[in-house]
Amino acid sequence: MAHLLQYVLNGLANGSMYALVALGIVVIYRGTNHLNFAQGEMALLATAGAWWINDKGVPLAAAILLAAAIAFIGGGVIEFGLIRPAGRKSPFAVVVVTIGLFQGLNSFTSLLFPKVGNGVKFGTLFPNKPADFFRLPGGAIWRYERIGVLVTVLVITGLLFALFQKTKVGLAMRMVANNPESAKLAGVPTNRILMMSWGLSAAIGAIGGALIGGINANINVSTMFGVFLLASAAATLGGLDSPLGAVVGGLSLGVIESLVSNYPKNWVASTYIGADTAIAVAFLIILVVLLVRPSGLFGSSRVERV
Amino acid sequence: MSVLLEVTDLVAGYGAVQVLRGLDLSVNEGEVSVILGANGAGKTTTMRAISGMIQRNGAVRFGGEDITHTSPNDIVKLGIAQVPQGRGTFTDLSVSDNMRAGAYVRKGGAAQADLDEWYEIFPRLQERRDQKAGSLSGGEQQMLAIARAMMSRPKLLLCDEPSLGLAPIITQELFAILGRLNAERGLSILVVEQNANLAVKIAHSVFVLETGSIVASGTAEDIAKDDSVRKAYLGY
Repeated sequence: MAHLLQYVLNGLANGSMYALVALGIVVIYRGTNHLNFAQGEMALLATAGAWWINDKGVPLAAAILLAAAIAFIGGGVIEFGLIRPAGRKSPFAVVVVTIGLFQGLNSFTSLLFPKVGNGVKFGTLFPNKPADFFRLPGGAIWRYERIGVLVTVLVITGLLFALFQKTKVGLAMRMVANNPESAKLAGVPTNRILMMSWGLSAAIGAIGGALIGGINANINVSTMFGVFLLASAAATLGGLDSPLGAVVGGLSLGVIESLVSNYPKNWVASTYIGADTAIAVAFLIILVVLLVRPSGLFGSSRVERV
Repeated sequence: MSVLLEVTDLVAGYGAVQVLRGLDLSVNEGEVSVILGANGAGKTTTMRAISGMIQRNGAVRFGGEDITHTSPNDIVKLGIAQVPQGRGTFTDLSVSDNMRAGAYVRKGGAAQADLDEWYEIFPRLQERRDQKAGSLSGGEQQMLAIARAMMSRPKLLLCDEPSLGLAPIITQELFAILGRLNAERGLSILVVEQNANLAVKIAHSVFVLETGSIVASGTAEDIAKDDSVRKAYLGY
């Protein structure tokens, strides 16, 4: 029982990382109907920036916020300079551009911050001494840092929900995503809204990347590869256009991964079952869910009558 | 009677394809103008050119102000709302969010009173306000499109073939509503229609559009008397 709870908690920690990147994917998908393959690398560049600012003597929290602000602008510039011109050609061109960005931003990060290329230590925002944990009934350990990351994920999700549902900018984002032509006719400056969606997504990526760096105590150029793969799966599982779905998708993927990679090992003591099997099982579950609910767990299914 | 919208020598199209070749038309303050024309005459292009959705040349003046080079969102703010062809529903948004979307250019909570007012005029929309707008019937979506456009408190309403795909009885109801908006609120309206009989009934002025320019225009009575126009567009 203690094991079970411990595995779940470990899974939630990894799942929080997937959720953070998945949230960024969802914001862009909701706003523009594009799947951004460069989401992980945008986060990497911003996190490297936060590391650099922190390295120059700025406190970590301020460095992360500063990096997020710069990422917000950078995301807008990417939309304006690359995505929009490509989108005028074809939607597929946008997909190719984001794949190119994936490569390009990764190399750019090593170029701009050569030390990150080899891996650097990354600090954490939360108490992280050996004794900083709760002991839950049964003996499972829940570290303060993991609680902190999970709470941050939930807070960001709540803020996004409020933004989309309660504010004018959020309404405009939903309008542009659903019917850009009508949005324009209603007086929405659609181009500005698209830039904001990308900026917002990049800023969330910056915060997510920094928290991931904190959990791993390290960042390097390949930090985001695995995270992005699972985050995109999490976003798909959650329904691509739902922030709540991204979080539920991310957390459940993390928990499934943790349970599958730990339990069978205990039962059969086999070295054949490990982390890789866990990912295979996770993807199998996603496949089944999508067969039953093609628009994901929380995705909006399109209703249209004429 | 002052002129609210004045379009002179309008030239517009898509890329290399020129659709409008020097079109002139006007809408007087508090009146309904109707553009009649067959498929491909350039009716929708005219609407899109007026609201700034496509590149245009010539002169478009609204309330005395030159808006030829004004962006679509600023044109909405000046008081032109368009109900696009096919209704332009935000299908994934709820009915009430569609209404809020219509009030996008307005500041703050001023729109709440209007919302209640339009729900009163279209009770069906109120019944379905939490439903996704894409699930409404065609007629309901057309009502929503008009209510949505009215939420921006326009001085001029552009309606692009509102009768498209609707049952005759719904179309009648629709034109009755447009007529009332004009008569009771003094709303100026520019309607593009193929269903000429209904449209001409509420019109003050009529413009006949053929391959990108106006070939006949006049008051609704004049046009109804003009034999060639009557035969071609009114069918009797």
